Amino acid sequence: MTGSSGIPTMADRQAVRDAPVNQQGTGPGQSESDLACGAALAGLPGMTPVRLAKILADVNPVRAWEALAQGRHPADEQRRFMRAVREIVPEVVAEAYERAGVSVHLPSASSYPAVLRSDPGAPAVLFSRGAPSVVDGRPRVAIVGTRSATTYGLQTASELARDLASAGVVVVSGLALGIDGAAHTGTLRTGRGDAAPPVAVVGTGLDVVYPKGNASLWREVEDHGVVFSEAALGTTPRARVFPARNRIIAALSDVVVVVECQLGGGALYTAEAAARRSIPVCAVPGSVRSPASAGTNGLLVDGCTPVRDVDDVLTAVALSRCGRDHPAPAVQSSTFVAAKGRDRPSQRPTPTRSARSAPAGSARSAGSARLDGWAGSARSDGSDRSGTRATSGRRQSQGRPLPPRPASVQASFDLGVLSDDARTVLTALEGSPTTMDAILRRTGFSLARAAAACDALTRAGAVDAGPGWWATR
Amino acid sequence: MIATIPSAVLVGVNGTLISVEVHVSNGLPGFTVVGLPDAAVRESRDRVRAALLSSGLTWPLRRVTVNLAPSGVRKGGSGLDLPIAIGLLVAAGELDRDAVDGLAFVGELGLDGSLRGITGMVVLAEALDRHTLVVPEACAHEARLPHGDVRATRCLRLLVECLAGRRPWPRLRSHPATAPHPGPGSSDPGDGRDLADVTGQPFARRALEVAAAGGHHLLLVGPPGSGKTMLAARLPGLLPDLDRTTGLEVSRIHSVAGLPLPGDGLIERPPFRAPHHGASPVSMIGGGTAWMRPGEISLAHGGVLFLDEMGEFSTIVLDALRQPLEEGEVRVSRARGTATFPARLLLVGAMNPCPCGEGGLPGACRCSAGAKERYARRLSAPLLDRFDLAIRVDRPLVDDLISGRPGEPTAAVAMRVAEARVQAAHRGVRSNAELPGPKLDESVPMTDGAAALLELCLRDGTLSARGLHRVRRIARTVADLDRAGDTVQASHVHEALVLRSCRGALLGVDA
Repeated sequence: MTGSSGIPTMADRQAVRDAPVNQQGTGPGQSESDLACGAALAGLPGMTPVRLAKILADVNPVRAWEALAQGRHPADEQRRFMRAVREIVPEVVAEAYERAGVSVHLPSASSYPAVLRSDPGAPAVLFSRGAPSVVDGRPRVAIVGTRSATTYGLQTASELARDLASAGVVVVSGLALGIDGAAHTGTLRTGRGDAAPPVAVVGTGLDVVYPKGNASLWREVEDHGVVFSEAALGTTPRARVFPARNRIIAALSDVVVVVECQLGGGALYTAEAAARRSIPVCAVPGSVRSPASAGTNGLLVDGCTPVRDVDDVLTAVALSRCGRDHPAPAVQSSTFVAAKGRDRPSQRPTPTRSARSAPAGSARSAGSARLDGWAGSARSDGSDRSGTRATSGRRQSQGRPLPPRPASVQASFDLGVLSDDARTVLTALEGSPTTMDAILRRTGFSLARAAAACDALTRAGAVDAGPGWWATR
Repeated sequence: MIATIPSAVLVGVNGTLISVEVHVSNGLPGFTVVGLPDAAVRESRDRVRAALLSSGLTWPLRRVTVNLAPSGVRKGGSGLDLPIAIGLLVAAGELDRDAVDGLAFVGELGLDGSLRGITGMVVLAEALDRHTLVVPEACAHEARLPHGDVRATRCLRLLVECLAGRRPWPRLRSHPATAPHPGPGSSDPGDGRDLADVTGQPFARRALEVAAAGGHHLLLVGPPGSGKTMLAARLPGLLPDLDRTTGLEVSRIHSVAGLPLPGDGLIERPPFRAPHHGASPVSMIGGGTAWMRPGEISLAHGGVLFLDEMGEFSTIVLDALRQPLEEGEVRVSRARGTATFPARLLLVGAMNPCPCGEGGLPGACRCSAGAKERYARRLSAPLLDRFDLAIRVDRPLVDDLISGRPGEPTAAVAMRVAEARVQAAHRGVRSNAELPGPKLDESVPMTDGAAALLELCLRDGTLSARGLHRVRRIARTVADLDRAGDTVQASHVHEALVLRSCRGALLGVDA
């Protein structure tokens, strides 16, 4: 394969995906000691994902462990791990994992996510808490983005995740602040029993909750879905673990959606990792004035598929999966059929939302529909420069409407009750966070007048107030 | 032969009367100083000898003993050179005893016989108010501030001739260094810092005006290059002149600290102090071993203390500010004694919203949550609580920068500030920030709308009980500035709230 030399060709990828599961000479069964040695190897001081992959490339963990201890492992010529290996008892490590409720997966095991197994950068040892099987057999979409997101980004991420999960699509994200957190929250808030469970991939050890503020969300994801990590227990948040984590997120996904991202932001690593694997990258467009959308807008310029709502994502998922000779996406399953016939409620028209409210209804169809006729042609342009799959041939069909959105996320304010001043200020906010200086300049109001209007808008729920800035929702 | 000359030394920040007794007797030539002199006093022997010889006077080749009474007080500083020299001349018979009758002397001698100024002359002159005071010309303007009868000359020789009656006392002139001294961190009346230089930034300008009018401490939060320092440096210009009492207090402190005083000795403009964030606790609060030096908070008494990059100050220094800010004075205690310095100041803090400086606006900041939290934690909640106003300052808008329209000049704003201060004076306080809590109902009557708004804020938790008082005081100031009469309206409360908008969310405390 060409994974090391650059972007793989379509054929390469196909070959990788279709390759039989590499049993690594260990046979179908895995012994307890294999798992113990695997966990112990991952936790060796100085171990990195790349070194671990080299060490476990051709041998099973027990043999690798023995070879390291004897200082004759070809991947450890400097014998950097020899001393540590001699001091550590794998069984003790295994007990610690058991106590922590963390499962250890080797690529040869059936519990190891099938989609990862064939990935060129697959973790040689994977840890999980929760139910790792949930990633298999369902379409998966990564929703990623900046930690310092705007309300627009947070709500978009949350709504997308909720609608995707309702449609049976597993949402994969990184349990970081901002977009990641919003995506997981959205997944958990579908209010449906048959929604897809949340999947998270974190950079730290599974016993190191980071960031602390997401601790309860972390637990919830563990309870309802699964949290993966390739880091051994006790691995603290260091800068290098996050790009590595991002590659797993990309590898797990059929489509990567970047909701909001700055120029040079971490989510672009995920997008890049996805592009390298020819996994489609979609991006949510944002205001050109918002620095939080600079990276995503840049992705769109590079040819990524724009995401206007969940239909765009579902279309991309369907395209991605059908090209891979997978069975038809699960979005056609009962979850989706159940929603049939229900009308998507039209949104109350407001000046700020007019762009979103106009195309609501049946004209925009669910992307899952009618994939059979044109799936092949969509796969033909495999050399798309950012690796995104074009969904420009957006078909209109008598698609199935989406499940209705809960009323709570609808704009909950009524423009009619707003004063003229408040309306003027609302216009001046122009979508991106605006400082008081800019509000005063654009409206020409006195500070007292602008302050009163901002307060009224905030109380009405039309505007978010930050420390020194105001932004439309 | 013995001579006794009255003089004074600094003990803490006060002048203490000292009798300099000089005894000249037969015996082996020698010179001894007793009575707890410090190194500077002991060295005066060599200065006095050289000064006498340079001035064409004789140094007695006899045994000289100098006693500084009361003997129990440790004496420091070089101001005793002159009284020792005069005492020596009298005791040695060079000067008529009657010539120095009723005179007190303070001053340092140069080797060439010149008289040099010393620090703390204002308080030394206060201590010697029952004598006619003879001082070096260089600090005559300071001595005259509290003292009615001051004589001054430039050199010892001239002084001896005047004392002997051979020449008239020189007329006291105004101090030559009348020009304002724009030294870093000194008071700055008319130093060219005008509010008109600030383009745009209407929000920050308004906050400055409210801070000046109401005496509200102000926290400026903004990215680098947003002009926080520029704004703060223009705040003293908005404040009214100091009243005479405060002016005297400020002059005393500056004199003790060795800062230059203006021409007539009295500081009339509010001082502006901007210590670097490396400041030690003692430099900020005051203290020292040999003599108590007032700290920056006392040097800023009556004026503005500006702490730029507030997050970079050590937490010890910052938390040491809390008590003085509340009480308006600081008591510095050392083994040798306690000194109380006034410290009634307007505190202006400036900091970045987060380590990268761009925080606050979503999308621009690259700091991790932990880094932001640690940064915000550098200011303790009790200290943050001292800031009535906390606003976000942003870089001027491009439109404002290129429009080239100058902002409202200092003079116009200062006039509104002065009017607001007059109204505060009618309420019996110097500024609205000092309005006592129990009197708020009486002095800040509100319309129903304003009261309802405050109730709403209290109920939804955006305002705490303590914050309520602050908001009412600020609203009072806003109403005063708008000449809105006695009753505070809802719009004033709105403005007061928005002037505090940067507190809670950014710094992790509630309003």
